[in-house]
Amino acid sequence: MLTTAPHLYIRRPSPTTAEFTVTTCPPLTLPLRLALACVHAARLSLLLAIILLLYGRWTASPSFLGAEHIRALGSPVSLLLAGDFPSLVLSVLQLLHASAAGQVCARAATHLLPSWWGLAVLAGALLYATRALGRIHTTESLLVLRGLGIQTASSYSSYNANATGSSSGSSGGSCVVGGGGGRWWGRIFGGGGAGGNAKETRFIPTEKIQDVLINEAFRGFEVRYYLVVVVEGEEELVVVFPRLLPRRRIVEAVWRGVRGCLYEPDSSGVAAAGGGMGIGIGGGDVKSVDEKR
Amino acid sequence: MPEHDGLMRVFWPTDLPRSDLRGVVVGWKNSAFDVFALAILEEVESRNVESALKIGTLLRNASHPVSRIYELCGQSSMYILGLANTPDSVEVDPSWIHVATGTGSQVPSVTCASASSIQVVLFERPLPGRMQYISLNPIALALGDKHGIHRLDFPDSGEEDDEREERRKKETKRQLVEKLKQHSIVKRVPSAKEKALAKIVNQINWAWELEKLLQKNVSRIGTRPKRSLSVSERVVESATTMRDMMMMWMWDLVIVYILPVIKRIFVLGLMCHRVTAEMMLLILEWRARPKYAALKDISATAQQVEIRLQQFCYWPMQYVTLRLRKNDWESVTTSHPDYIRFYNSLWLVANDVIIGIALGSYIIDNATWVADEISNLLTTYTVEALQSSISWLMGWPAGLKLNTELAAFLGDLFLWVIDYWSSCIEALRPALPHIIWVIGFSSFAGASMPIALFSDLLSILTIHIYSFYLASARIYHWQLNILISLFHLFRGKKHNVLRNRIDSCDYDLDQLLVGTILFTLLFFLLPTVVVFYLNFAIARMAIISIKAVFDTMLSCLNHFPLFALMLRVKDPGRLPGGIRFELRDTQELRLAAHDPPKGHHSTSVIYLQSIPLNFRAMFHQYFQMGNRIRKHYLSPRVVLCLLTGKFVPPLNRKNLYSLQYSMLPARRAGVMEMWDAVNSLPATMRRAAPASLPVLPNGRKLPSIYSGGRARGYG
Repeated sequence: MLTTAPHLYIRRPSPTTAEFTVTTCPPLTLPLRLALACVHAARLSLLLAIILLLYGRWTASPSFLGAEHIRALGSPVSLLLAGDFPSLVLSVLQLLHASAAGQVCARAATHLLPSWWGLAVLAGALLYATRALGRIHTTESLLVLRGLGIQTASSYSSYNANATGSSSGSSGGSCVVGGGGGRWWGRIFGGGGAGGNAKETRFIPTEKIQDVLINEAFRGFEVRYYLVVVVEGEEELVVVFPRLLPRRRIVEAVWRGVRGCLYEPDSSGVAAAGGGMGIGIGGGDVKSVDEKR
Repeated sequence: MPEHDGLMRVFWPTDLPRSDLRGVVVGWKNSAFDVFALAILEEVESRNVESALKIGTLLRNASHPVSRIYELCGQSSMYILGLANTPDSVEVDPSWIHVATGTGSQVPSVTCASASSIQVVLFERPLPGRMQYISLNPIALALGDKHGIHRLDFPDSGEEDDEREERRKKETKRQLVEKLKQHSIVKRVPSAKEKALAKIVNQINWAWELEKLLQKNVSRIGTRPKRSLSVSERVVESATTMRDMMMMWMWDLVIVYILPVIKRIFVLGLMCHRVTAEMMLLILEWRARPKYAALKDISATAQQVEIRLQQFCYWPMQYVTLRLRKNDWESVTTSHPDYIRFYNSLWLVANDVIIGIALGSYIIDNATWVADEISNLLTTYTVEALQSSISWLMGWPAGLKLNTELAAFLGDLFLWVIDYWSSCIEALRPALPHIIWVIGFSSFAGASMPIALFSDLLSILTIHIYSFYLASARIYHWQLNILISLFHLFRGKKHNVLRNRIDSCDYDLDQLLVGTILFTLLFFLLPTVVVFYLNFAIARMAIISIKAVFDTMLSCLNHFPLFALMLRVKDPGRLPGGIRFELRDTQELRLAAHDPPKGHHSTSVIYLQSIPLNFRAMFHQYFQMGNRIRKHYLSPRVVLCLLTGKFVPPLNRKNLYSLQYSMLPARRAGVMEMWDAVNSLPATMRRAAPASLPVLPNGRKLPSIYSGGRARGYG
C-alpha cells in the first residue's frame, strides 16, 4: 500500500528543459499520508525504545551517577535556559526513564538481557529497523537541460522529498535559497538542497555526452532494459535510474524525451524521435505515465 | 540567427541587490543567445554605459591587470545585456532582455523579444574573498597521481603479479571503451552554448569581484555635476593625510631597514636547513644497487624522517606559490587546493608535535615504568608464550599423536634458540630505560616519531619469531614438495620440467619401493611439521597486524584531512565537489509577476548550486590504501602461500605509503631552485593602502602600485 510500481512523472516547463522522475511513491492521498505518519511515529518510538533500553541498562550498572544526583541538577526547562545541554539530556532521560514505558524498557534491559553484548546486538537490530523504515520510497530523476547537460539524481527518501514530484509547487516557495532550518544540515551532510533530503547527483555536461542509449541486460531470469549515458573519456557507463531500473515502456519514453530535449533540432532524425513527447510542451504541467504490467 | 532554436539562456546571480529602480544590465555575452548577467547599473542611460564600456571607464582603478579578467572569462569585452525594470514601451534592441526584479518576488522575471523560450539559470555567487569557488570537477586534495610511474621502476617479484593482473584488466576495459566509441553513429558538433560551460564556471567565480568593481565605477558614467569639497572637509582630509603620511613614513622605516635584515637571516637559516635536509635525504634514499632496498624502505623511522624532511623542503615552495596569489585577482581559483594542502600539512605537523609533547613528557616521566612494562610484555609474549606453546606441541597437543622423536627434535632446536635469545634480551634489559628515554625525547619532534620507533623496535625484538617462521616454512615447503613428487612416483607419473606437465613414466620396482616407503615416512611426519609451522605462522601474522596498526596510526597522523574536514563544516563553498542543477517550479513566478507578455514565451527556472565535496572523496586515499592492503593480504594467493609454506611477502612499504606521499611532489625542488623561488618573492610587503589615499604634490615618494590613484584627484 505504501509503495507502487515505479512510475514516471515528467515536468517540462519549457521545451528545452525537462525533468523525468521515476518514483515508487504513489500520489499522496489522505490515507497514504496517514499511513506514512504512522510509519514515522513507529520509527520515533523505536528510536526512543533503543535509548531507553540503553539508559535503563546503565541505571542498573555500578557506573550510574544516581537518580538523586540527576534530579538535583534541576528541571529540564531551567537547564535549557541555562544552556547546559549535557545535563539537560541527562535530566530528560531520567524523566523518560521514570515514566511507565521507561520502566518497562529498563526491566526488559536488566532482566531479559543482563549482558552488555546482547543489549548491543538488540539495539543494533532495532536501529537497523529504524533506518529501513525510513527508506520506504526510492525516487530517481533525470534532468535534461538543453545547452548544459544531463543530471541524474537518486535518493532513498522519506515522503518529504517526494513532494516535489507529485504535488508540484508545495516546495517551490521555500526552496529559493534552500529553505530555513534544513539548509545548514544539508550543507554539511550530503550537500542536499531542498528540505534536507540527501540526494546523490551527478551532472554530465553536453560536451562530454557521447551518446544516450537503451541497453538490455540479464538480471536473474529476466531481461531488463536500461538507459545509459556514455560519457567521453570515462570507462564506466552512467546508468540512469540505477536502483529502480524501470520497465521498457518508461525507459523508452524517457529516452525519446531526452533525445528531443537535449539537442537542438538541427539534425532532422533526432527531432523526429523527440516528436512523440510533444504533448508535454506548454509549461509546468505534470504528466504521469503509469506502468502497466 | 541561422542555427538557432530560439532558446535564450540567462545566467543570473540570485544575490544581486533587488530594487524597483530602472537600470542597465551589464555582463558577458557568450554567444548571441547566451548571456551572463554581472551587475545592474542603476539610474544610468544605456548610451552612456555603452560608451563607458567601450573606453573602459567601468574597469578603472582595478587593483590588478584588467586583461587577466578577459583572459580567464574567455571574452574580449562586456556588453549591455538589457534593461531592468523598464516599461515595455521603451524602444530597444530586440535581442536585449527585460528583467523585472521587484523586491516582492525572489525570482526575477526575464523576457526577451526575440527568444521563444528562456532558461533562467540562477546561482549564488561564491565569495572570492572567502576563497569560495565552484568547479565542474571535485577539488583534488592530493597531488596528481604519480605513483604508478614510481612503482614501475622497481617492480619486485610479489608485486608483479598484482600489477600484471591490473594491467590486463585495464587493457580489456580500454578495448571495450573503444568498441563503445564505434557504437555512436552520429558525432555531434557541440554548439557554442555547450562549449561555453567551462567559461561560464569561471565567469561565475568572477561574478562577485567584477560586480563590486563595476558598482564602484558607476559614478563615473555620464556627466555628473562635480562637487568640490567644502572647507571643513578639506581640513579633515588634510589632517588625515598628515596622519597617514606619518604612519607611512614610520612603516617605511621598518620595512626598509629592519625587515630585510630579518628576512635575510631567515632565508639563510632556511637554506642551511635545506642543505642539511638534502644530505640526510641522500643518505636515506641511498641504494647500493637500483634494485636493492633503501633505508627508508626498511625502517618506519627512516620513512617518517624522510616524509618530514620532504615536507620541510616543499613548504617554502608552497608558500611562495601562495604568496604570489596575492598579486593576482582574488577570483583566480587555481591555487586554492594548494592553500588547503599547505595549511593541512602545517596543521597536521603542529598537531603531531602537540600530541608528541604530551606523549613524550609522559614517557620521559615514566621511563622506568614503561621500560618494565615493555620488558614484561617481551618476556611474556615473545619468550614464555613461545616456550610454553612449543613444549605443548612436543607432548601430543590436543590429543594429536604426533611423531614424538621429530617433535622433540624440532622443539629442542627452537627452545635452544629461544633460550639464547632470552639471554640476549636479559642483556638488553638494563639499557631499555635509556632507549625508552630516547624514544620519549624523540617524540618532541612529533608523536609519529615514537610510533615509528616502536614499530621498528617491535621488528627488531621479534626477529627470532621471524626467523623461526622462515625456517619452519622452509622445512614445511620442502616436505610438501617432496611429498608431491613422491606421490607422482607412487602413481607411476613424473613431472616433466621441460614441458611443464605430468608425464607417465616406467619406474623400476626398487625405485617404486623406496619411493613408496619414503612417501609413507614423510606423510606420517607431515602433521608434526605442520603444527610447528602453523604455530610460527600465526605468531608472524600477529606481529604483522600489530605493525599494520602502527602504520595506520602513522598515516592518520601524517595525512588526515583535518583542514579539509574543518572547512567542510565551516564553509562548504571552499570545497567544491561539482555542480548540480535544480529545476524550479515556475507557477508562482507566473503568479507573482504580471501575466506573461506573450503567449509563446515559456520560461524554465533552474538553480545552479555547488555540491560540497563528499566525505568519501575526502578519504579517497584511505579507501585506496585499505583496498590495496586488502588485495595484498586477503587474496587467495596469500592463503595459498600460507598453505604451501611459501614466504608471504610483506606489502611493499612504497605502496603502503603512497598515501603519505600523495601530499608531496614526485620530485622535490633542488636547493638552487628553492633559492631562486625564495628570492623571487615580491621585495617588500607594503601596508595596505589607507582608505583615502592622498596624492602627494611631488608624487615621488609614492610607490609604483599607487600610481593608479594619481589620476583620481578630488573628483
